[in-house]
Amino acid sequence: MSESAVLQAGMKPSAWIVDRFVVLTALAGLGVLGGLIWLETAPFMVALFAIGTVLGMALYHGAFGFTAGWRNLVLKKRGAGMRAQLMLFALSSLIMVPMLYSGQAGLVGAVAPVGTSLVVGSFMFGIGMQLGGGCGSGTLFTVGAGNIRMVVTLVFFIAGAVLGSIHLPWWLDQPGFDPVPLVNTFGVSGAIIVQLLALGLIARWVNRVERKAHGTIERNELLWKGQEHGVLRTLISGRWPFTWAILILAAGNALTLGIGGSPWSVTFAFNVWGAKALEAVGVNMSQFEFWQWDYPAMALKDSLLTNIPSVMNFGLLLGAMLAAGLANRFNEASRNRPQRRPLLAAVVGGLLLGYGARLGFGCNIGALFSGISSASLHAWIWFACAFAGSFVGIRLRPWFRLPE
Amino acid sequence: MDKAYSRGRILIMLGVILALIVVDHLNSPTFAFNSGQGNVQTALTQRDESACAPCGAPCPSTRN
Repeated sequence: MSESAVLQAGMKPSAWIVDRFVVLTALAGLGVLGGLIWLETAPFMVALFAIGTVLGMALYHGAFGFTAGWRNLVLKKRGAGMRAQLMLFALSSLIMVPMLYSGQAGLVGAVAPVGTSLVVGSFMFGIGMQLGGGCGSGTLFTVGAGNIRMVVTLVFFIAGAVLGSIHLPWWLDQPGFDPVPLVNTFGVSGAIIVQLLALGLIARWVNRVERKAHGTIERNELLWKGQEHGVLRTLISGRWPFTWAILILAAGNALTLGIGGSPWSVTFAFNVWGAKALEAVGVNMSQFEFWQWDYPAMALKDSLLTNIPSVMNFGLLLGAMLAAGLANRFNEASRNRPQRRPLLAAVVGGLLLGYGARLGFGCNIGALFSGISSASLHAWIWFACAFAGSFVGIRLRPWFRLPE
Repeated sequence: MDKAYSRGRILIMLGVILALIVVDHLNSPTFAFNSGQGNVQTALTQRDESACAPCGAPCPSTRN
């Protein structure tokens, strides 16, 4: 509904208050860090930093959380969040699979081995999502928006990721096999069709669950319906319909692939941050096998400003902060002092998230979203195992006094 | 309505994070390269096409 329509009905739209301090601080942070990246690295890194910023704003304004979407389906039997994720995967598949397999040199998909490590890691990650209160991107954008409990989750996410990196070689020695790109079996068009069919089947199941519980399917969140304000104000200050976030996230991942050479990932940066912190206090990380592999070794040795996931994560944090300031909701979730058990859940959840993400080759973004966008079998196994883990995590939430 | 945060704490937090990023960068091969030091391998030009996973892990078949 437009603002004029609201006024005609005799109602007054709520005043738009912007938190100037938060907005100016976020803009200053973006300017300083963006300038540093511009001066010290290359223009494409600045572009990736900007993409990360827009993705952070989209995640915040769209309230695009994988964790809540899964929980709403299990507990409330509502499927809008889940359907939004499926639509995102379908759109990205259509865009990114042809890009990756077009024969253009320098593009690497998010494909990974299938085995014990993947199954155990993604299951642990699923539990961690529900206890920690977010996935990789969810944790980051809520931290950017000032949520103090999520800062605890992030710190232990990083700790868990480093521990996972130390143990990953052992897990890789357990039964497993090499990556399975679906394109090798079905071709580019075939892989896209197979994935769309699979996503369609899941959507059908989600709809059935919702219809069985409520009689009808709620589709309001997917459409421009019942918005309190006009398009421009909604765009700047939220809350976006899911469809807007879907378009931005799909475009952002495709641009990341085109500019950075590989799809969007979040959690590898946590490994690097944690390992650098340990090195700073005297731990020699290169004694561990993970940190001897070419890519992690180079990332550990060089500047964070040259590490694509780190640069995009910085953008995401500041983007979410900017969005929260524009919506005048910065730190809104942290007005009350955190209770002991929810804090314990953040610690346990964070550790499970980090450890699970490393064993499972990423989070909902790097393994699931980018994995399906690369038509890799491992992403589907990750999806199933993380959903099963999430189910367990949902059952554990009441003990930690976490709200439904 | 009262703000749900302390401005000072936010500025300190962001300042600390920025300082850590800058210190890390000043000690990096990329900064050395930018300062005119040759023969330095930086991560900016590195691609990870040979790895089996985005984190750089080798393939299970290679490990066997």
